[in-house]
Amino acid sequence: MPAVWLVEDTRGGPGTQEVRACGRALGGNCRVALLEEERLGPYAPGLYAEALHALIAQGDGEDPERPIVVLLPHTYQSAEYAPRLAVRLGAAYIASVSGASLDDDGGLRFRRSIFQARLRADVRPKKRTVVATVQVGAFGGAGPAPSPHDVFEVGRPADIEEHQEREILGREAASGGGVDLASAERIVTAGRGVGGPDEVSVAADLAAALDAELGASRPVVDNGWLPREHQVGSSGHIVTPNLYVALGVSGSIQHLMGMSGSRIIVAINKDPEAPIFSVAHYGIVADLHDVAPALTRLLKARRQSA
Amino acid sequence: MRIGVCIKQVPDTDSHLRIADSGRGVDDSNLNWVISSCDLCALEEALLLAEAEVARGAERPELVVFSLGPARVEEALRKALALGVDRALHLVDEALQGGDAIADGRALAAALAGERCDLVLTGAQSDDLGQAATPAVIAAILSCPYAWLVMAVELDSRSKSLRIVRELEGGMNEVLGLELPALLAIQAGINRPRFASLRGTLQARKKPLRREDCSGLGVDPGLVGAAGAGIEIEAVSLPPAGAGGVVIDGASAEAAAGELIAHLEREAVL
Ligand SMILES: Cc1cc2nc3c(=O)[nH]c(=O)nc-3n(C[C@H](O)[C@H](O)[C@H](O)COP(=O)(O)OP(=O)(O)OC[C@H]3O[C@@H](n4cnc5c(N)ncnc54)[C@H](O)[C@@H]3O)c2cc1C
Ligand SMILES: Nc1ncnc2c1ncn2[C@@H]1O[C@H](COP(=O)(O)O)[C@@H](O)[C@H]1O
Repeated sequence: MPAVWLVEDTRGGPGTQEVRACGRALGGNCRVALLEEERLGPYAPGLYAEALHALIAQGDGEDPERPIVVLLPHTYQSAEYAPRLAVRLGAAYIASVSGASLDDDGGLRFRRSIFQARLRADVRPKKRTVVATVQVGAFGGAGPAPSPHDVFEVGRPADIEEHQEREILGREAASGGGVDLASAERIVTAGRGVGGPDEVSVAADLAAALDAELGASRPVVDNGWLPREHQVGSSGHIVTPNLYVALGVSGSIQHLMGMSGSRIIVAINKDPEAPIFSVAHYGIVADLHDVAPALTRLLKARRQSA
Repeated sequence: MRIGVCIKQVPDTDSHLRIADSGRGVDDSNLNWVISSCDLCALEEALLLAEAEVARGAERPELVVFSLGPARVEEALRKALALGVDRALHLVDEALQGGDAIADGRALAAALAGERCDLVLTGAQSDDLGQAATPAVIAAILSCPYAWLVMAVELDSRSKSLRIVRELEGGMNEVLGLELPALLAIQAGINRPRFASLRGTLQARKKPLRREDCSGLGVDPGLVGAAGAGIEIEAVSLPPAGAGGVVIDGASAEAAAGELIAHLEREAVL
């Protein structure tokens, strides 16, 4: 059984439960490497990678045959420095895993999405040490933490003081407010599949007919078809409406992280293999430019007759 | 001042993906290849930084584009040259094929070190493997400051420093100061990439494009490509289809819309 390190912070931040669940899937023989900002200083990728390296490399000599797995959440902070930790440990690196297993013969297997969640890959590490980040929201619900917990506090490396990697100058909101997606009862989201800035109206018309707010996937915002405050997903709004209608949205992990908690999810997409269908309660495989206007017409007629 | 940009050539996101007969990858015989989306933003950002330097009367930085991949990658490099980059370096060798982020990062770091770039820009995440790791590996090997998910860059070439905005979860950004040399992984949405002009495309044919193999790069063939990768893909599969979702026949738009409304009424969401 591998020696598993779970990297956690004192806040029990996002992904803590998934990291623990992944540790459990690998035999549950886990130690916790606890990161504390008070002890380490403000986050910087080199600092955190070096500090973890110092702790994990220490226990290395115990059993030279035994595999070592280091698990971190795939957050915007730990995914930034985890590859560097892997380089320092001479380890294999596997990003954003959604599954892990241990063969009878002790071999490790990890599963991750590729091609923006359109395919998944089963990956085998070729090194004794593996650093993997765990997809937030991917290992199902919380379970009991692996026990007993051997907690090791991560110390500040002695020789890092001089190394000025980055100076934190401030924090700011990424976009102005104005769109109330978080408390919306219904949301119609335009994905890149709507086709262009002039075609976003297809989604806007349906939203109006449904009394819904208008959402957007990231490329729609990145291309300037809608302002940033409409964005749903890990770097936008996390929404849980009663009804979520996705038009021309493929269903990437980052998008699903923002909307998979919706009560009823409807997806209209011309690709029957689009991953959005794996979370949709109702799916229509069709051109959205045919179905969405038809929906808008019927909903308007229904309202007039009511 | 020299700015390096790393670009990866990937299948167009609209390509139909077929699992290869080996079951270990994607059948690449019938794909349309393009520059990965974040990498186009990294190229655009390099062009904007160069233009800003010129606008304030400084010398225009030299822009060099790097890509590791088989012969087809040359088309992506020519496209970068057409957009306005000055020269290109193609990392091409049988022994460089089949690498992961660590193996590819090692080869790219060797090439970037050879060109002594003051600033390196990459994409935040590739559209195919999406490891979001290659730039962090390069920065670890070059031992330089690094930031992932960069949404704004201001370069001060006099003080050799950067002021950048990095994306955080939940709609927040952080503002950071970094010293050069540094590596920034650019997030999509930082800018709107331009299109190549006809003039640019014609000029690109005459711009220098150099090929380097392992010995030219000075890397051990055992540490790059498939041999140097720490992981191996054993199987590729489609995600499971809808977990119990209702599939509505989309052949007739009107009928599909009517059926959906009936379902939504039953679910009491209308
Ligand atoms: C760190 C990070 C954070 C991110 N944060 C977010 C985020 O917060 N939110 C987010 O959405 N993304 C986010 N992304 C981007 C994400 O990875 C995907 O690129 C994005 O979600 C894809 O958007 P899409 O589904 O609209 O476009 P695509 O993936 O291009 O999908 C378009 C879909 O439209 C379909 N289609 C095309 N034409 C039609 C038609 N006529 N009729 C019906 N269907 C059609 C296609 O079949 C396809 O499935 C993030 C990425 C990174 C790296
Ligand atoms: N083969 C490659 N050639 C050049 N740059 C690459 C290559 N692979 C990855 N990169 C760069 O690293 C970024 C992140 O890739 P990845 O780690 O695969 O998500 C990409 O957006 C590119 O900028």
